[in-house]
Amino acid sequence: MAERTQSRLWLMRLIFVAVCLLIMFLHLLPLDTSPRSWAGPDLILALACAWVVRRPEFVPVTLIALVFVVTDLLYQMPPGLWAAFVVIGTETLRSRAPSLRDLTFPAEWFTVAVTLTLMTLGNQLTLALFLVDRPPLWLNLMQLVMTLVAYPLVAFGSQFLFGVRKQAPGDVDALANRR
Amino acid sequence: MAKDRSNSDDYSGPLKRLMLGVIMLCLIGLFLLWRIDSPRVERFRAQVVDRVVPSFDWAMAPVNGTVNIVRDFQSYRRIYQQNQELRRELQQMKAWKEAALQLEQENARLLDLNNVQLDPRLTFVTGVVMADSGSPFRQSVVLNVGARDGIVDGWAAMDGLGLVGRISGVGEKTSRVVLLTDSSSRIPVTIQPSGQKALLVGDNTTSPPVDFIEAPDQLRPGDRVLTSGDGGVFPPGLAIGQITQDPGGRTRIRLAADYERLEFLRVLRDYGNETIRDPGSLIAPRILPGTPEPDPEDNAEAENG
Repeated sequence: MAERTQSRLWLMRLIFVAVCLLIMFLHLLPLDTSPRSWAGPDLILALACAWVVRRPEFVPVTLIALVFVVTDLLYQMPPGLWAAFVVIGTETLRSRAPSLRDLTFPAEWFTVAVTLTLMTLGNQLTLALFLVDRPPLWLNLMQLVMTLVAYPLVAFGSQFLFGVRKQAPGDVDALANRR
Repeated sequence: MAKDRSNSDDYSGPLKRLMLGVIMLCLIGLFLLWRIDSPRVERFRAQVVDRVVPSFDWAMAPVNGTVNIVRDFQSYRRIYQQNQELRRELQQMKAWKEAALQLEQENARLLDLNNVQLDPRLTFVTGVVMADSGSPFRQSVVLNVGARDGIVDGWAAMDGLGLVGRISGVGEKTSRVVLLTDSSSRIPVTIQPSGQKALLVGDNTTSPPVDFIEAPDQLRPGDRVLTSGDGGVFPPGLAIGQITQDPGGRTRIRLAADYERLEFLRVLRDYGNETIRDPGSLIAPRILPGTPEPDPEDNAEAENG
């Protein structure tokens, strides 16, 4: 039993990394090199939040930090800063995950929305403080809104495709035994 | 349930907190390091891109190809209309070709008369676009040529039609081209025929605005915009595009390069112009050309005598 949960844990971590790599790959495809007036959702962030709220042990903080540092480097963003904000945000969600477990989906969505908004504003503010070239604010806000719109899809998608559900009381027992 | 929570906290709380602290320290340290010593971190970024992007390449090529085939297929639906348009354009082009040939001959004759030396070293390396910036906030592409092909930071990249951007970040096998549309791109330009110098300022839109124009009233929509070569950024005279005006009355540039589909880019080798630093001596140089093994002290006297 313990063996199985252990292997499942590592399998899900691998799946998380694989999905993130796939999303990065799709973003990097040079299909449209002219500047766009819209911004798509940050699916990796939505995925990380959805998994942290549901099964925190599948996405340890080290993994999140690594994935987001790599996206920072590949997407030409200031390296480390956005990753740091994501780590803060997901840790906040992680600490709230046990209480969110008992609440409905809209409540979870609302919590995620507040966290992501604070992260985005914090990022813009820090970049302004350090006199770094900022991304246009409205593009950034559009990306935030798109991410929030995509969040339910990502959450339900990972629930049905990968079986990332909120823990039932029985699961917790199994987990406690394993630990 | 509550017991479980506290239990797991007891087990790994301090360790996790320490881990979190270390990770945050690393991330913020990385950001500060980037802010303080940007070139070093950017070089590291170029190395990461150099490692990661070519490993995606085997998958990128077929996916790209498939999407392009689908797009081409969509354009088949209006193939007749396109054919008509192309015929019309071809007619116009033939007239222009005649004019161009005549001008070329005339230009060659005039250059010959004046004995003008054009820069013969302006050759190029052609690279294939492998990836774009991946985020909507930055405009750049990654080419499959890098330091091993002799690419150097700051060289100009063009497609067949006009300037596309400049090399910024060179890895061993890849290099990054920051496009003219990126919000960090600033290019000194000349506007012909009025000959004014200005600055092309990228702002994340398809037609970037021109700034620092001396006499905006002398500009006409359709004026040609070339690189000016000021500051030694680019070789002078590369085509960029044409002047237009947006509805707000701001002067912008319609770029000549086809930004919709950047596929092959030429990177112009540019070794810069030699700068003349000393004011030059009035008396003959100490070593005259053509004298074998001259004694530098009494060289001038010997030649005179």
